Amino acid sequence: MSSVEVAQRSAPAGSIASFNRTVLLLVGGLALALAPLAVLSDDRFWLNILVYTYLFAGLSVAWNIIAGFGGQFSLGHGVFFAVGAYMTARLYLIWGITPWLGLIPGAVLCALAGPLIFWPTFRLKGAFFAIATLAFNEVGFVLANYLETVTGGPRGLQIPFQASLGNMIFAHPLSYAFLMFGFMAACVSIAVVITRSRLGYYLLAVREDEDAARAAGIDVAGVKLRGTAISAALSAIGGSLFVMYVRTIDPPTLFSLTDVGFKFALLALIGGIGTIIGPVLGAFLIIPAESWLRAELGGGLPGMHLAILGGLMLLAVLFMRRGVTGVLEIVWHRWRSAKERPHD
Amino acid sequence: MSDVLHVLVVGILLGGIYGLVSIGLNLIFGVIRVVNFAHGELVMLGMYGAFLAYSLLGIDPYLSVVLVVPALFLFGLIVQRLIIEPLQSESMMQMFATFALLTILQNVVLVITRGEGHNVPTKVASLGLELGEIRIPATRLIILIAVTAVAVLLHLFLHRTLIGKSIRAVTQDRQAARLVGINVERTFMVTFGIGAALAGLAGALIAPIYTLSPGIGGNFILAAFAVVVLGGLGSVAGAYFGGMIVGIVEAFAGYYIDPELKQAIWFLIFLAVLVVRPTGLFGQVGAEEVGFREQS
Amino acid sequence: MEATGRAKLIGLLAWLAGVALAGVATAQEPLKIGAINPYSGPLALYGDEMARGYQIAVNERNAKGGVLGRKIELVRGDATNPQQAIAAVDQLATRDKVEIFVGTYVSAIANAGSDAALRHQKLWWDTNALGAELTERKLANFVRSGPNGSHFAEVSVRAVIEMIAPALGKKPNEITVALEHEDSIYGKTIADVQKARLEEKGVKVVGVGAHNFRATDLTDVVMRARRTNADLWVQTGYVPDTNLMLRTAREQGYKPAAIMTVGTGDTFETLEALSAEYLEGIFVVSYPRADISEKYAPGASRFLDAYRKAYNRDPIAPQSLSAYGGLLTMFDAVQAAGSTDPAKVRAAAAAMDKPLGSYPTGFGAKFDDKFQNTRALPVVIQWQGGKQVTVFPVEARREGVALRNVPRK
Repeated sequence: MSSVEVAQRSAPAGSIASFNRTVLLLVGGLALALAPLAVLSDDRFWLNILVYTYLFAGLSVAWNIIAGFGGQFSLGHGVFFAVGAYMTARLYLIWGITPWLGLIPGAVLCALAGPLIFWPTFRLKGAFFAIATLAFNEVGFVLANYLETVTGGPRGLQIPFQASLGNMIFAHPLSYAFLMFGFMAACVSIAVVITRSRLGYYLLAVREDEDAARAAGIDVAGVKLRGTAISAALSAIGGSLFVMYVRTIDPPTLFSLTDVGFKFALLALIGGIGTIIGPVLGAFLIIPAESWLRAELGGGLPGMHLAILGGLMLLAVLFMRRGVTGVLEIVWHRWRSAKERPHD
Repeated sequence: MSDVLHVLVVGILLGGIYGLVSIGLNLIFGVIRVVNFAHGELVMLGMYGAFLAYSLLGIDPYLSVVLVVPALFLFGLIVQRLIIEPLQSESMMQMFATFALLTILQNVVLVITRGEGHNVPTKVASLGLELGEIRIPATRLIILIAVTAVAVLLHLFLHRTLIGKSIRAVTQDRQAARLVGINVERTFMVTFGIGAALAGLAGALIAPIYTLSPGIGGNFILAAFAVVVLGGLGSVAGAYFGGMIVGIVEAFAGYYIDPELKQAIWFLIFLAVLVVRPTGLFGQVGAEEVGFREQS
Repeated sequence: MEATGRAKLIGLLAWLAGVALAGVATAQEPLKIGAINPYSGPLALYGDEMARGYQIAVNERNAKGGVLGRKIELVRGDATNPQQAIAAVDQLATRDKVEIFVGTYVSAIANAGSDAALRHQKLWWDTNALGAELTERKLANFVRSGPNGSHFAEVSVRAVIEMIAPALGKKPNEITVALEHEDSIYGKTIADVQKARLEEKGVKVVGVGAHNFRATDLTDVVMRARRTNADLWVQTGYVPDTNLMLRTAREQGYKPAAIMTVGTGDTFETLEALSAEYLEGIFVVSYPRADISEKYAPGASRFLDAYRKAYNRDPIAPQSLSAYGGLLTMFDAVQAAGSTDPAKVRAAAAAMDKPLGSYPTGFGAKFDDKFQNTRALPVVIQWQGGKQVTVFPVEARREGVALRNVPRK
């Protein structure tokens, strides 16, 4: 049955049993992801890494909604991330608005404006869409630098340290780790809900064969717009949380392709694009590795740790062509078929 | 009025640089359909190759082309065979792989050079043409001549030689090309090799203009994509004139509007073209539709 | 009785020996200093250069017995952006038990790093970063021993008024200046202060331009500068854009009467790019150089020798000297404080009152209420015969130094 036909079904799939199973898997998976926190709750170095791991896992899951599920390989999600960060920081600095509320306007703005900005490029396929969204990122960077009154220009924005729950500023990174974990859990949960919903099937159908989907009556543009809206809003929230952690942002940091825009894609790709757990696996693989390499080799020959990281990434992609989930799938199938083989 | 002419000349010369840097990318992107994020680094390797030739052998960068171009051709063959080809069915992974390659190349060069900002001198640095008040430095004129020659030669190559025709055949329809007996994999290798060689040529020729740094490839890659899209995939004329357009727009925007905004301005134009006419100026209508699914 | 007496004596002696040994053991524990810098990425060269300066300071001080009776050990933490700064500080504070942090010339990294250091209640002693906000924000653990962007701007303005204008035969209100800067916070801050101070003194600023330091073409910048007909052309930026701009100016035949670059343009990178002949007479505002007059900066030649011996070449950039001098200042402050506690070191620093010329950088030590060293001044060099010759302030000149090629031929 093609995904188009599947999408034609009137009701989202799922018996009660399948729903229960999904919830169980979700809760179990999240509990597993929470485990490192218990072990490392005192080690500031690893807690810092965990904070970024959870945050970027969530951001990558958000990216995956439109990119992995929908097939729209966007390199412009850094713009949403930046909007969330700037908006929250500005509201906090100027009017003292608590970031818990302050993250909403950024998300709403991205949910509304994001699809609008991307809409002209939706008719582009594959690499062209990627490059077009890359251009968005670059324009965003130039504008962020230029519009000083809004973004603080090249100086960026700094948030002084005043710890309180209302300020979303914490003295101990453990609190931030929980915060980011919550974000990741929310993103993953939303992704799960989407895959089980009609939107999820439509996204899949659009990814597999846009023309066939259109022919089958799916509102392709509407699907892409909705997917982008959700993805953008979540990315903006991630940006809001980010700024409350580092408390200093500037255009080079927010619009950096290597560290932000492309990273979302990187993590999803290595983990297994188009799956829910892929981006999370990718984050847990890459971010600690990168941080550890930088910590161990960063003081030595300049660039050595990045050269090694690049080499590892290249080897990873050559040997895991469908990402980690791809490898897991192969292993799973082999194990299954080994079980079914008659014993000699 | 002479200002306008001056800016136009500046734009054309800059367009020559952009065109030369992009012409290899156009070939790779147009034929193999892989987004080679590491293209800027191939240019960077060409620049450092020229520097090596100068510091070890004392050769002028324009002569070092004889060494740099074949070296990068070989490198391109290897990259295609070992990295791009195995990932043929996973186009997004190909992007990832070229990005990993970018990281590796930049940082290996950083490790070796510590990031020192080297320069490659050339005897022609002080020469130039003067048209009234407008000065045309020899270094940039050479690039303009080179890109024109390369465009013409590449066009002839693609249309008159057997390899060139097989490249064009593969661009149009991989399956059909295979059916008529063309070795698609080998054609891709040659294509990437030529693309890399052209990048190396660009690097060697622009080395006298810029101060080298491991990350300098990043300065060109976005402009190169803009040129390729503007001009049209797989069209040599497209890369040539696309480069001119980007160069001229940048020069006018920089002089009459603000040097700070000039990049954003041609980005916006590039976006506009993408939206209105994704095939670019010279590309075949529908070429950009040849998606990423008919890869094998 | 006698036996217990002897036992007690032995016990006492043993206890004393134990305490003494323990004391010695703690004294032997090295004092670890974390040097947070970009050691990778595009700025790796200068990060590494600064760390070299730190290492020379550490070696020198260790030869004199260290600080607080302990040997000093330098630990590097790589940070190319603010997030990595936080991670590096966390790592060095928790794993390597670093007690004091020093850094860096990238203000954003210094900003995030010092903030993270405060979370660990550790001092951040900054030697090279220029951003004004670093001291404006009055962070409780922050001290800056080097100049900030305003100092660079102010020295450049003083040089214009006291040295360049007279050399051109003009009064301050007769000279015209075109300012150009790279468009990040570094270039922008300096240009803003330059404009303000110049106009205060009656100098006409006939144009202010900004560009991206990675631009592939700067002909528009040169053409716009030429349009202003300024006497003096000032550029604040990094190596790639300064080099490209000067090359373009040469190609286009743009010859203002005087050229001054701020922040860069004084290293071999620019000399190689442009040749000694073209550079003749160009002024550069920069950190003090190791070949500066020994009277102005006692110990500079000592640094130069140490660097040459350790690395077989001359210093690549003057950042290393400021790093070296800044660390020496910090050692003095820590020694006076008797501890590495940030509050105590800051109190000791606040009490310091050393005149200009106390350190091999020519700096003194007098910190204002924001803990900015008010006696840390950049200098101006002029390219003469392919060498960088210090020409401003006049006290920093060596014997017999005079200006050359002003106005430019």
